[in-house]
Amino acid sequence: MKRSIRFYGLLPLAAAALLAAGCAKDVTRYGDSKSVETVTNEFGSTDLQTIAESMARSMQTAPVIVSGNLPILTVQEVRNRTSEYIDTRAITDSIRSELQKGGKVRFAVDQSGLKQQTGEIDRQQSGYYAREQSVERGQMVGAQYRMEGNITSIVKQVKDTKDVYYKFNLQLWNIRNGLLEWSDEKEIRKTTTRG
Amino acid sequence: MRYAWISAAVLATALGSGCATKKGFEVPGQAFGCPIGDQKIGSMEDLVKAKVVMEGSRTTVLPTEMRCSRSGDLLRIDANLNNDSKSVKRISYKFRWIDREGMRAWEEEAWKPLMVYDNSNLMVNTVAPTNKAADFRLVLRSME
Repeated sequence: MKRSIRFYGLLPLAAAALLAAGCAKDVTRYGDSKSVETVTNEFGSTDLQTIAESMARSMQTAPVIVSGNLPILTVQEVRNRTSEYIDTRAITDSIRSELQKGGKVRFAVDQSGLKQQTGEIDRQQSGYYAREQSVERGQMVGAQYRMEGNITSIVKQVKDTKDVYYKFNLQLWNIRNGLLEWSDEKEIRKTTTRG
Repeated sequence: MRYAWISAAVLATALGSGCATKKGFEVPGQAFGCPIGDQKIGSMEDLVKAKVVMEGSRTTVLPTEMRCSRSGDLLRIDANLNNDSKSVKRISYKFRWIDREGMRAWEEEAWKPLMVYDNSNLMVNTVAPTNKAADFRLVLRSME
């Protein structure tokens, strides 16, 4: 008897919880992909966009780019030396897109795309394609400059405050003589305080 | 008599060009190095008014000076932002690039956050992403 009273007493509570869960609907909206994002202080879209824009604009004014006749670049690795996961390929992809659209440089196939490139040449040379329309081996153009960089961070945290400092460094190396032709940095500081 | 006329004409031309050098320090169609088209810009305030756009929440941080130059065939801009209040201000900004026909020369830039200390100036500078960008607007909004 006692047990059934307790059971029936809990019923309204359970019903209320179910109703509340039913009412709390998820709302999805499209947002501005270019807006300032401050959901957390980890590396975010605003950081990626700011770094890519700053680096591409600076590189476009480098003497080797200005004086060169559409110099050929290749993208190498940007090493992630931070404590968090950052897709550095996304940063270099954005830099490459902005530079390519700017029309001051050309890009040669990089290491990550080499397998697909040579694979396609091999496929065309397999004997299944018309010989006069197939690309020949030994026609690819090598890059004159290689782009590489680092992203590092310093994170400091006390009870209610977390401070993150990012430093992105990008370099342009002359492949022929090994000279550093251009280099620039972008720093970002973000602080989160609780309360 | 003919020589007198020619000398007068030469003198007038020389005077005219002399005046033009003094008065027209700027290249026609430019003010402080910045492209202005056929707008009448007589002062730095006029230039700031013509080039700055406020979007969203208005900010009290305003450019006090703007100068442009060329880096190769790209437009280079320096804008001095001033916060004359007694508190730190947080704003975001972006540049909008316009081509010779008045169309957008580049896609919309990402908003870039900026912190300006109280009673301070901060220089913002950029280079046009493409040589098609003949003009620009500096877009500001408050992040407070």
